[in-house]
Amino acid sequence: MSIDWWALGLQAINALVLVWILARYLFRPVSAIIAERKDAAQAELRRAAQAMEKAEAAKSAADAERAAFARELSDLQDKAQYEAEEIKRQMRLSAEQEAAQIRQDAAKAVDQMQKDARHQMGEEAATLAVQIARKLLTRLPQEAQVSEFSTGLAEALAALPDATRSRIGAKGPVAVRAPRALTPEETAKLRGDISGALERDVQVAITVDPSLIAGFELDAQTAKVRNHLAADLMQIKEELVRHA
Amino acid sequence: MENPLITQPLFYVGPVPITSAVLVTWGIMACLTGFSVWMSGRLRTTPDGLQSAVELLVDTIDGQIRDTMNRDPEPYRALIGTIFVFVLISNWSSLIPGIEPPTAHLETDAALALIVFVATVIYGVQAQGVKDYLAGFADPSWVMIPLNIVEQITRTFSLIVRLFGNVMSGVFVIGIVLSLAGLFLPIPLMALDLLTGAVQAYIFAVLATVFIGSAVEGGHATAKPATKEPTQ
Repeated sequence: MSIDWWALGLQAINALVLVWILARYLFRPVSAIIAERKDAAQAELRRAAQAMEKAEAAKSAADAERAAFARELSDLQDKAQYEAEEIKRQMRLSAEQEAAQIRQDAAKAVDQMQKDARHQMGEEAATLAVQIARKLLTRLPQEAQVSEFSTGLAEALAALPDATRSRIGAKGPVAVRAPRALTPEETAKLRGDISGALERDVQVAITVDPSLIAGFELDAQTAKVRNHLAADLMQIKEELVRHA
Repeated sequence: MENPLITQPLFYVGPVPITSAVLVTWGIMACLTGFSVWMSGRLRTTPDGLQSAVELLVDTIDGQIRDTMNRDPEPYRALIGTIFVFVLISNWSSLIPGIEPPTAHLETDAALALIVFVATVIYGVQAQGVKDYLAGFADPSWVMIPLNIVEQITRTFSLIVRLFGNVMSGVFVIGIVLSLAGLFLPIPLMALDLLTGAVQAYIFAVLATVFIGSAVEGGHATAKPATKEPTQ
C-alpha cells in the first residue's frame, strides 16, 4: 500500500473547490430563499395578526356600536312609550275636559231650555192670567170703569215736570182715551181733575178705546200718562214674565 | 480485479498523475456544479418538488449543525454540507458500472479528513483566539497536552480509516462476488452498499461537525457536544 501524494493534493484542492462552488451556487441561494420565505411567512403572520387585531378592534367597535344602538333604541322606545303615554293622557284629559265641557254645555243648554221653557210657560201663564183678568175686569160695572181713575190720572200729571205739564194742552184739547163714552158729569170731573193737575183750564177730547178696560190714558205730544187697567195688566204681565 | 489499495494513474498532466479517483471526483464536481448553477437559477419563493427536496437537505444539514454545536449554522454549512453531499454521491457512484467511488481510495478520504482537521484548527482559533485555543490542549491539566495532541491526530486518522474501510470493503466484496458468482447476485450487496454509503456520509459529516463544534466551544476532545459522537 502506498500513498499517492499527487492524488491526495488534487483531492484536497478538488474538495475545497467543491466547497466554494456549492457554497456559492447551492447552499447560500437555497438558505437565502428559505430565509426569504420565512421572512415572508413572518410578514404574512404579522399582517394576519394585524388584520386579526383590526378585525377584533372592528368587532369590538361594532359590538359597542350595536350596544349603543340597542341603548338608543331602548331609549327611543322608552321615550316613544312615554310620549305615547303622555299623548294618551293628554288626549284622555282633553277628552275628559271636552266631555265635561259638552256636559256643562248640555247642562247649560238644558238649563237654558228649562229656563226658556219656564219663561215661555210663565209668559203663557201671565198672558193667560192677563186674558182671564181682562175678561173678568170687562165685567166690572160701568161707573167702576171710570170712577176714581181721573183722580189717579191727575196725580200722575201733577208728578210731571213743570215744563212738560206747561206744554200739555197748550195747543188745543188734551186727547184722552176712555174705555167707554163718558157721561157729561164724568167728562166734567175728568176735565176738572186734569185742569187742576195742570193748574190751568184745558179742554179734553175723549176717544173711546175699550181695550183700556177701565181708566184713562192721556196722549199729548210731549207725554203719555196712563192710568187704566190695561196698562196695569201689561205691567203685571211684564213683572210676571220677568220673575218666571 | 484490481487491488483497491493500489492506485494506477490513468494519464498524466505534465508530471501530475491523474488517477481514476481524481477523474471521478472531477465528474462528480462537474455534475454538482451544473446542478447547483441550474438549481440556483430556478429557485422560487413557491418551491416545486425538486426545490423542496434541496431545501429539505439544506434545512436538515442546518438543523444537524444547530443541534450539535448550538450555534448559527451559516459559517459551517458550506463545509459540512459539501462533505456530506460529496461523500454520499461518491459512495453511491459505485452503482454506476465501471465507476469506482473516490472514497474507496485512501487519498480522497485523507484529503477530506485533512480538510476537517485544518478547519477544526481555523474555526477554533477564530472562535477562541490562538492563546485560548492552545490553552485548551492543557485542559483539564497540562499533563493531558500530549494525549490531546495525539487525540487530534488519531481521530483524524479514524475518520480516514472508517470511511475508507467501509467503502473499500463494500466495493471489494461486490467485486469478489461479481467475479465469482454472476451478474445478479451482488444486487442485495449493492443495496446494502447504498445504505452503508449513506450512513458513512452521515457519520463523516456529523463527526466533522462534532470536531469543529468541540474546537469552537473549547476543551477540544474533552468537550461534550449536544449530539453524542456516532461510532461505527
